[in-house]
Amino acid sequence: MGSISFRNVDKVFGHGTGGVKALDDINLDIADKEFVAIVGPSGCGKTTCLRMVAGFEAASAGSVLVNGRPVTAPGPDRAVVFQQFALFPWKTVRENIELGLRNKNLPVGERNDLVASALKLMNLETHVDAFPHQLSGGMQQRVAIARAYVLDPEVLLMDEPFGALDAQTRVVMQEELVRLARHNPRTVLFITHAVEEAVYLADRVAIMTRRPGRIKEVLDIKAVRERENWDSHARIEDVMDLESFVHLRTHIWKSLREEKGFKDV
Amino acid sequence: MASVASRRTLIGGMTVIGLVVLWFGLTTFTGLVTGARFPSPAEFWLSLKQINGRGYAGSTLASHAFHSLKLVLMGFTVAVLTGVPLGLWMGWNRRVEAFINPVFLIIRPIPPLAWIPLAILWLGLGDAAKILVIWFSAFVPSVINAFTGVRNIDKPILEAARMLGTPRLRMVREVILPASLPMIFTGLRLSLQASWTTLVAAELVGALVGVGFVLNMAQQDIYPGMILVGMVTVGILGWVTTLLLARVERRALAWNVAARD
Repeated sequence: MGSISFRNVDKVFGHGTGGVKALDDINLDIADKEFVAIVGPSGCGKTTCLRMVAGFEAASAGSVLVNGRPVTAPGPDRAVVFQQFALFPWKTVRENIELGLRNKNLPVGERNDLVASALKLMNLETHVDAFPHQLSGGMQQRVAIARAYVLDPEVLLMDEPFGALDAQTRVVMQEELVRLARHNPRTVLFITHAVEEAVYLADRVAIMTRRPGRIKEVLDIKAVRERENWDSHARIEDVMDLESFVHLRTHIWKSLREEKGFKDV
Repeated sequence: MASVASRRTLIGGMTVIGLVVLWFGLTTFTGLVTGARFPSPAEFWLSLKQINGRGYAGSTLASHAFHSLKLVLMGFTVAVLTGVPLGLWMGWNRRVEAFINPVFLIIRPIPPLAWIPLAILWLGLGDAAKILVIWFSAFVPSVINAFTGVRNIDKPILEAARMLGTPRLRMVREVILPASLPMIFTGLRLSLQASWTTLVAAELVGALVGVGFVLNMAQQDIYPGMILVGMVTVGILGWVTTLLLARVERRALAWNVAARD
């Protein structure tokens, strides 16, 4: 089980008159095993939403619930994939993936099995003993995803995970994430400012306004995807060519354009 | 790259040869610099033979050098074993920093060498006073760099560790310590330098054995050859210990891109 709820969430950074309101009355419910992407202009507070679910930030008002319980601290039930990977540079690929399992005090045998399957899942078997600096950005992010997946988290939080990758690597990772998400579905909150990425990956896309961020609109992508059978196309570019995809993308673009201060891409 | 490196070695070698030629030229060949001011290579060699044979200032060069080296390593070790943990603790816990930082601000402007008279007053001319003074001088860079190391840890790395449910002790051993290690080693290098500086100064002021004591005696005997022997010995000892530390660093930081090269 892994549901996420934002209930009337405000976030103010700083105190008193110097305080800046980053989020204004956020309401969003993400069902178990649902993939929701949040898009919005830079600085709209979309990453702050994710950081509150992760337990890195507290809401100034309202509540953030996971499985109906308020979030109080970070924990392995809500695995995070960071934009800058945040791997431990002094640990090998195996050691990076293994740390969360060691923290859970799993016996060695079980740990090894889980690490092996995570390595296989992300095609990392040949890099088990490499240090992060020996890997490309795409490879490093694979390790970070494996590190998150191996925990079997109720909720997966991805904060612009492909933002630091080059265009080609990005496409490969997007395709792989779709493969993962369809075969091994779990609750995902995905932050991005790339509209196509959001439409391609998510079941629903939430569009945010500029700061102070509010949820402006939530689009049901899944209904369209299933109706138009997007998953019958293996390649991302074929999906992106479909009329139904273009239609949704354009809709989101226009919605974002209305937000003054939207400067991305 | 290889040709650049070998060219550098070549130029460096030529500089050294040039200096030796200059030394011969100014002393032995022209006599522009008399032996009373600076020893000629021959005088240097005789002094070296004397201290290695009959000994000087009470013992041979090897035992003077060994004694100094021992004190430096002891003082350095004590300073590192106390300074690095304190710096890590201050970096991790803002309350600890708030308590200890004022003490630092008061003590830091006092040059370590200014502690020498007090240390001798407390502990006499023996080893203990020297170790104490080395500790004072080597402690500060260890603390400050370990502290800075913790404060400069990439925030997402700490967040990742917390997200993974890393317990406290493992957090220190497997995340905070290795993440601060590059800065800690910077501190250790500075601490080692400070250790040698302080030791020689302390031995100059009051000692019965050691390289600094050799320097002090040679000055009183107006013996430039032996002064140069003492200086060269300290230089070599400092160089070798720094080299060893750099080797440890390279091994410990094999994962670090910045440390390679």
